[in-house]
Amino acid sequence: MFNFLNEVKQGLKNTEIDLNGFNLINLSGRILYVEGHLGLVTLSKELISFKVKKAVIVVEGKDMMLSELSDNTIKICGQIKKVEQI
Amino acid sequence: MKLKSVTTFHVKGLNQEKWLNELCKEVSLTEIERLSKNETTFKCSYFSYKKVDKFLKKHGVNIVSLTHEGVAYKLRNIFTAYGLMAAIVVCFALSIFSQQYILQYKVEGVDKLAAGDIVEYVSKNFSKQKGNIDTSEIENALLQNFKRISFASCIIKGQTLVINIKEKLLPDEMYGDFAPIVASKNGRVTKINLISGTLKVAVGDFVRMGDVLVEPYTIDASGNIKKVEARAEILAEVYNEGQSEHYETYIEVRRTGKAVVQDEIKLFGLTIYTFKEEMNFKMFETETDEVPLIKNLFLPFKMKKTTYYELCENKIISKFEDVEQQFVSKAKAKALENCEDYAKMKEEFYTLRHLQGMTIVNFCIITEENICK
Repeated sequence: MFNFLNEVKQGLKNTEIDLNGFNLINLSGRILYVEGHLGLVTLSKELISFKVKKAVIVVEGKDMMLSELSDNTIKICGQIKKVEQI
Repeated sequence: MKLKSVTTFHVKGLNQEKWLNELCKEVSLTEIERLSKNETTFKCSYFSYKKVDKFLKKHGVNIVSLTHEGVAYKLRNIFTAYGLMAAIVVCFALSIFSQQYILQYKVEGVDKLAAGDIVEYVSKNFSKQKGNIDTSEIENALLQNFKRISFASCIIKGQTLVINIKEKLLPDEMYGDFAPIVASKNGRVTKINLISGTLKVAVGDFVRMGDVLVEPYTIDASGNIKKVEARAEILAEVYNEGQSEHYETYIEVRRTGKAVVQDEIKLFGLTIYTFKEEMNFKMFETETDEVPLIKNLFLPFKMKKTTYYELCENKIISKFEDVEQQFVSKAKAKALENCEDYAKMKEEFYTLRHLQGMTIVNFCIITEENICK
């Protein structure tokens, strides 16, 4: 079956880089879909942060809410202004 | 109503990120919204709300509110409404039970016969349970017990027993009450129009109220008596009388215009307050009226108002000649009261009887009326 993320990963020349940590998809700055999160750190309407493998992702925005939260996926809805990995 | 059944939790507690991380490993959460530092709302599947509830209680999170929506919740609500379910079951059982019985009788095709008699006979003599009803048995019983029935058929339609009747055709005069016709008034017979029956009076006879005019039978050439309905129109001159009396001297009692009022307030028939003015009338008459003291009051207080009217006596002397027409009119009015509406008047006259100190006026109106009752 065609997998868009696998297709994108195959394009990378350096095969030693670990690409299996997490995936982030930002849809028009309104929805942020995350695969492979390791736990929520902060939750508010303006700031949502969560742990991923070897990092923390900070999402800044306005009127944000967690539309979905499961064991390894997060779907954030709202006006997403900034996504930062620290 | 939403098809998907979800439960919305409104919770209050510290360290929300921590328990949300743990909870999402067990149950998938949606629409997580942080209302304030300590308050959050989120949704989960209705089928896993008990798991979430247990988890929150275990972690010391205070649940502010819990709302359910969706088809599954509504259905569960209906099926757990034991009263409603019991009512449905009872209604269903009663409906099945009542289906076994005849609840209504319908008689068709009756003209001269009374449907009520047939229904009464069938309901008294036959079972109401459908299983025990034999329609041919009812049909035979009806034919045997009702001489005027020539054909009867019965069918059970739902909870109704339909009885179809065909009556025997008999001459009109064979139907009826077979009671004699009696005179409704005193009078002299002037005209007779006999339809059926045997006549007992002739033109010119004087009859009194209650006398038999026509008997309900006929006698044929062989001398056999045959019952028929007595029907006739018999006209008679009826003497309608009215009387008035005049006294030359009489005592007239009338109110002087003075009155005294006495009030009493009562509760449950006991007088609890009385107000009475001084009254020194030699002759008086009273009028009493009892009304509720106040409307819409819980305690039934009642006010009894008694009015004493002073009376006086006057001796009146009048000559009959001066008031003759007045007394004749009075007597005529009384005579007219005895006349039937739209009666044909033939003659009217009055007579006077002078006794000691009084005169009696007798007014007579002769009318022609049908005296058959």
